[in-house]
Amino acid sequence: MGVSASNWDPSRPAPLEEDVVKCVACGLCLPHCPTFRLTGRETASPRGRIAAMRAVEEGHAVVDSSFTTMMDECLACRACEAACPSGVPFGRMIEGARAQAEPTRPVAARGIRRAGLTGVLPRPRLVMAAGWLLGIARALRLDRLAPAAHRASSPPVSLTELRRPIPRTLGEGPLARVLSGCVMDVAFRPTQRATMRVVAAAGYTASRTTPAGCCGALAMHYGQPEAARAMARARIAEMEDAEIVVANASGCSAHIRTYGELLADDPAWAARAEQVAARTRDLIELQPPPRDAGLGTVAVHDACHHLHAQGIGPRGLLAGAGAHCVDLGDGGRCCGAAGLYSVLQPEMAARLRRQKAEAVAATGAPVVAVANPGCAIQIAAGLRELGSSVRVAHPAELISPE
Amino acid sequence: MATTQAPAVRDRFAALLDPGRVIDHPLERRLYGRDGSIAQGDCGLVVLPETTAEVVACMRLAHDLGIPVVPRGSGTGLCGGAVPLDGALVLSVARMSRILEVDPSVPCARVEPGVLNLDLSTAVRHLGLHYAPDPSSQQACSIGGNVATNAGGPHCLASGVTAQHILGMEIVLADGEVLRLGGTAPDPPGYDLRGFVVGGEGTLGVVTEITVRLSRNPPHVTTMLLDFPTVAAAGAAVGGIIGAGVIPAAMEMMDQKMVVAVEAFVRADLPVEAAALLLVEVDGTAAEVASHTAVVERVGAETGAGRVRVARDEAERALFWKARKSAFGAVARIAPNYYLHDCVVPRTRLVEILARIYEIGAELDLVIMNVFHAGDGNLHPLIAFDRRDPEQVERVHAAGTLIIEACVAVGGVLSGEHGIGLEKRDFMPLTFSATDLEAQACAREAFDPEGRMNPAKVLPIGSRCGEIVLDAGSLPEGTWL
Ligand SMILES: Cc1cc2nc3c(=O)[nH]c(=O)nc-3n(C[C@H](O)[C@H](O)[C@H](O)COP(=O)(O)OP(=O)(O)OC[C@H]3O[C@@H](n4cnc5c(N)ncnc54)[C@H](O)[C@@H]3O)c2cc1C
Ligand code: SF4
Ligand code: SF4
Ligand code: SF4
Repeated sequence: MGVSASNWDPSRPAPLEEDVVKCVACGLCLPHCPTFRLTGRETASPRGRIAAMRAVEEGHAVVDSSFTTMMDECLACRACEAACPSGVPFGRMIEGARAQAEPTRPVAARGIRRAGLTGVLPRPRLVMAAGWLLGIARALRLDRLAPAAHRASSPPVSLTELRRPIPRTLGEGPLARVLSGCVMDVAFRPTQRATMRVVAAAGYTASRTTPAGCCGALAMHYGQPEAARAMARARIAEMEDAEIVVANASGCSAHIRTYGELLADDPAWAARAEQVAARTRDLIELQPPPRDAGLGTVAVHDACHHLHAQGIGPRGLLAGAGAHCVDLGDGGRCCGAAGLYSVLQPEMAARLRRQKAEAVAATGAPVVAVANPGCAIQIAAGLRELGSSVRVAHPAELISPE
Repeated sequence: MATTQAPAVRDRFAALLDPGRVIDHPLERRLYGRDGSIAQGDCGLVVLPETTAEVVACMRLAHDLGIPVVPRGSGTGLCGGAVPLDGALVLSVARMSRILEVDPSVPCARVEPGVLNLDLSTAVRHLGLHYAPDPSSQQACSIGGNVATNAGGPHCLASGVTAQHILGMEIVLADGEVLRLGGTAPDPPGYDLRGFVVGGEGTLGVVTEITVRLSRNPPHVTTMLLDFPTVAAAGAAVGGIIGAGVIPAAMEMMDQKMVVAVEAFVRADLPVEAAALLLVEVDGTAAEVASHTAVVERVGAETGAGRVRVARDEAERALFWKARKSAFGAVARIAPNYYLHDCVVPRTRLVEILARIYEIGAELDLVIMNVFHAGDGNLHPLIAFDRRDPEQVERVHAAGTLIIEACVAVGGVLSGEHGIGLEKRDFMPLTFSATDLEAQACAREAFDPEGRMNPAKVLPIGSRCGEIVLDAGSLPEGTWL
């Protein structure tokens, strides 16, 4: 079997050969993969996805619709990466694979998605405008027109909240630049205010970046690395003067921590990106002085981009505010939100949403701490579907109520 | 090289299951051409039945069409057992993953074959029970696969391998006939075929349901890590502990290269500078655990152990085990592929064989690492390599043959637990005479007269029962690697 040429499209990012060959096919990741658990299919498993990448890499297969489906069914939750003893960096491999898959997608879907990822997200004003439109649609109850599967994944935008300001700066001490972020700034404004208070309480001058300025994670996860790089440069420019950079959504902090890699080939930005990455803290890693916020029992959902991508969790922060934390007992399985996943793969996402909501309800806790916007929307929808009254809240809001 | 089953064949299977559970796209089929070993096979079609009735229907149709069938569990096997050849049909039981019944009074559980080993133990933990055989792959491998390979694991030193824990099973034969063997009664009537079917490696039929014995969790457990300046010292400690009359619940050895690779993943503060590491676990009543721990510590001191690190709590104990059980997977940190052997040698020859294995590695310029069940002399020498380098691959094969020959020469056997499958098949004549092989071929034929169940596995090509020669199955060039 001679080594044939790779079938990757050389004009697009692709999984690196040195990453792909690291998989020894031991299968230890299989039970950790939510999509394998649901389907029992090798094609929906990390090992299978890597084997498919390898087949293309070695010229045994081409990127076709079957390849694309395999990659799109993946949540990019990176549970496999955390479980893999070989250190296969699945997160960046799936990004490459999706960039390759892009041309096989239906033109219309590609167009709409591209418009969102490369047209709207990089423009904070448009993101805000979109937020207002969503808020208006909601106020007019237009959201009921959307198919049920999509309704579950639309962000909880409210016009009243959009009108309430978020302080631009707060507190004293070394400078902390706090990422506004796109989804968070539009749909989770109480969390944004609480975040400012927590950063200030931790001893920093909390200063917000451009409202609705996206970190670029979504664009990166969905095969638009150029758009992602542009957003990264914009954020770096406004954050690099700070002692620390704070993000309060797991997807953002995980992504900013990869800025160094993302811009490694850009001589003007590589060092600056590295520096911002090194200074990044997720909000849940901050240590404000302990104080009893009378929290009682709090169920803890671990966002994939905390647990698997960064190996961190909010328990310390919550315990410092007097919470008694309980785990969901599902091994930190993805809730199915996963960026645009709940929109693109509604069926699989709905099954994961139900599992997660049931796990939350089973803890008996009155509130569940969720430190990522996608997860929060998904879990709240799941709990609604179950008829459960458990409240979903970001740890920042729990420890620093208004 | 991909052999395709005709679309008409696919459609007939799709009529039995829903189309979503029949896989025939070439790329998707390709993913079923592998297991945890290094063989890449050739899968013609995949079916994913969910019930015994669906398995029967698939097997009948395969019988009518004369198609060979390869049962597949989780595909963590290490000898190519689940690797299909010549466009065979892969029957995956991954969707048959329900725990049907738990009876705490026996205690036992009735499960479907796709239930993952660790999932079963997790599900019965609240009853103070567990399923004892614990292959290092236990988080991922299926009970059906364990039965088919008669899997062992670290705790099998004291509690015995899979065969000792199987009370009964249901198996669907090549023509679709359903056979029930054993049950919860201590001595079921008739011939006891369980011992034969356990370890059948998918060549006898598809195991569709299993009744397993569950074990009570020990009241006390102590887990220790001992580090040694030489592999020989660690070997002496193994002999010393067992010589002192203590059979630990588990006794596992890892050499330095393995420890370094694993530490990079688990970060358990393992002694990366030690030549060998011994993981010893003792369990039982508080008094037993205390006295056995004392013996291990004493023998450790006598044989030159640097430090005996006792797990402080359950979390640290879990970390020690995570380190051990990640070993094979962590090899890619050294090289992208590994070729693993599974020989068993008399415990007294352990040190000598290890020295020979390192010698073979040095002679052929290959990295050979060791991680194994020291207590029962079951070695897992693991040759790390890169399959993209054909010249290296040749040396890997040569080393494998030398290792097996060395083990057999001191009275060892080919496989302790992983099975024979494809990879070790041609070494069978090293330990079995022609008469032995013929007897095995006859027994196999009684279950599967047409030789359609996992053909070309286990018995070397040409093994015969009377006049019938087992279908050779072609090994296309490159199948291996
Ligand atoms: C990291 C790692 C560590 C391991 N450690 C151990 C260890 O400590 N001890 C040990 O014994 N093994 C070990 N193994 C090997 C492997 O996990 C075992 O052989 C396991 O029993 C295979 O189970 P599986 O479900 O993956 O089976 P598969 O790999 O899918 O199949 C294995 C064989 O069983 C047959 N088979 C599977 N399911 C059925 C069924 N329902 N009916 C009939 N035949 C069937 C297949 O045809 C094949 O021949 C390890 C493997 C890895 C990757
Ligand atoms: S990704 Fe890692 S854990 Fe999964 S099969 Fe490959 S090597 Fe094993
Ligand atoms: S990222 Fe998540 S969904 Fe994707 S393969 Fe890994 S575990 Fe499975
Ligand atoms: S959380 Fe997601 S949406 Fe928000 S800024 Fe980060 S990438 Fe953009």
